[in-house]
Amino acid sequence: MSSAIVADHLGKVYPHAPPGVSALADVSLEVPTGGVYGLIGRNGAGKTTFIRIAATQLAASSGSMQVLGHDIATEERAIRARIACVPQESRPLYFLRTEEVVYLYLKMRGLASVEARRRTKDALEELSLTEHATRLVSRLSGGTRRRVLCAMVLASDADIMFLDEPTTGLDPLARREVWQAIRRASREHRTILLTTHYLDEAEALSGRLALIERGRVKLEGSPADLRSRVRYPYRVTIQGSVPREELEGFGDVSEIEGGFLVFAREDAARELARRTLERGARLSMGPVSLEDIFLEVVGRSIDDGSGALEDEEKEAEA
Amino acid sequence: MSERHRLRSLVTLVKLNGLIPIRTQPLYLINLLASPLSFLFFIDVISKGALVAYGITGGLILTMLSAGTGLQSDLTHYRHDLKFQDVVIASPVEAPVYVAGMALSELVYSLPGIAVFVVLFAVKGYASPVGALIVGGVLVLVWAFATALAFTLATYFEDVRETFMFSPLISLMLTVLPPVYYPLSQLPHWAQLLARFSPTTYAANLVQAASIPGQSISFGTAAIDWAVLLGVTLALFAIAAFKARWKEP
Repeated sequence: MSSAIVADHLGKVYPHAPPGVSALADVSLEVPTGGVYGLIGRNGAGKTTFIRIAATQLAASSGSMQVLGHDIATEERAIRARIACVPQESRPLYFLRTEEVVYLYLKMRGLASVEARRRTKDALEELSLTEHATRLVSRLSGGTRRRVLCAMVLASDADIMFLDEPTTGLDPLARREVWQAIRRASREHRTILLTTHYLDEAEALSGRLALIERGRVKLEGSPADLRSRVRYPYRVTIQGSVPREELEGFGDVSEIEGGFLVFAREDAARELARRTLERGARLSMGPVSLEDIFLEVVGRSIDDGSGALEDEEKEAEA
Repeated sequence: MSERHRLRSLVTLVKLNGLIPIRTQPLYLINLLASPLSFLFFIDVISKGALVAYGITGGLILTMLSAGTGLQSDLTHYRHDLKFQDVVIASPVEAPVYVAGMALSELVYSLPGIAVFVVLFAVKGYASPVGALIVGGVLVLVWAFATALAFTLATYFEDVRETFMFSPLISLMLTVLPPVYYPLSQLPHWAQLLARFSPTTYAANLVQAASIPGQSISFGTAAIDWAVLLGVTLALFAIAAFKARWKEP
């Protein structure tokens, strides 16, 4: 499988960053052509920095990166001709109508009017925006504006689409519509580099994932690969009166509302399930979620604390 | 990107930032007309009509300069608040096409101002056909260097509020203090020397000589004025090409 993006020992230090603080440090990644590649991590972990370097919006400080076989430092024009991006915290121009945001973007990219109009109509339908087609962006809700931006980029002819937290602020239904559109683009053999805070979203969409923490890649691979690399790949939830001491030998036990959560290896999880059922307690068992993996690798939740760079800053000061 | 695609992008940007906002808010059209007409009004009243020609030539220069410098607010707002510049960077649209499209769209806002002053110009019978060509050429250069300056500044501003501070300063430095609304000879010698640091002094000199009866300059002075104006325009374009931050460092 060829690679859409290859990062080799990529580093980024922002011009005014305190000494010793890197936004990215020695990142080496390969994003395969076609499909969705997820970047997950806390705020300030380096996801957006990576995506902005790949989208040729930001210069790297060290290392190298190839996008679609072109060097980001010397062949920007060749890369830009084949990419599209929804930047984090971007907003569509508020004085345009919804359909104009998509249509004019496609025209700006050089598409002919007929083709741009057809793609606009399809994209608005796909993301349930047809009813808003002639409304001014300034009169749309924040979530709908975000969907308009997704429609704009997903309607394009780009080979690589960079989506930086595209579903932030969307309701669950709208999120799923965006997922469908991303899957459709992925089926058309486009490469989608996605950053997200929603681990369920990353898991549902991504063929491969990279977990970034403090500018470094901590884990990389398919969701199955990631599971195989954690100490306890199974989670068992037990509801009922089972003494904690009986569970300790099976793995990592923690107390939850009305019972226990046990992370265990496969054989231990099966044995635990058998014994629990014999005692008449209720249980559910399955592979660990991406959230569990994140917790084990990073040591805290993805929502815990904002600004991984700040942590690093404090460490550097210490 | 082929030339046809570039042209398509350019026209789209003019529509996107020029024609469509006017459809939404037609008052944009008189926005750029307000200052030059105000100056013209004061000059006409205070000089009892004697200096109205300077009010009209100055108004034309100020309108074109504002069309160029007005770009800095839009570009800064689009870059910081909407992240539109990032959307454009990650697309086949090249920086010169983006700037040209946005600059032309700003010119759309200035059309009523230009029309008003051109009509006044014609009614007063100020310029011969050759004079009109000279005035047109000078105004294009004024708009071009102001655009290059605005683009470069916009890539450095961290907040759109900074442009609110710079715009009046630029206006003051380029149109109020230099002899745009009055003849250079009205200034004391030391101030004339200072005024020579502003490119609009040379623009005004050429426009006033080409259009106002009784104002003339030697061929040598005209050649120097053109050379300075062209040189400043090229220098500002070179600075824009090498120093403007299209991609963030």
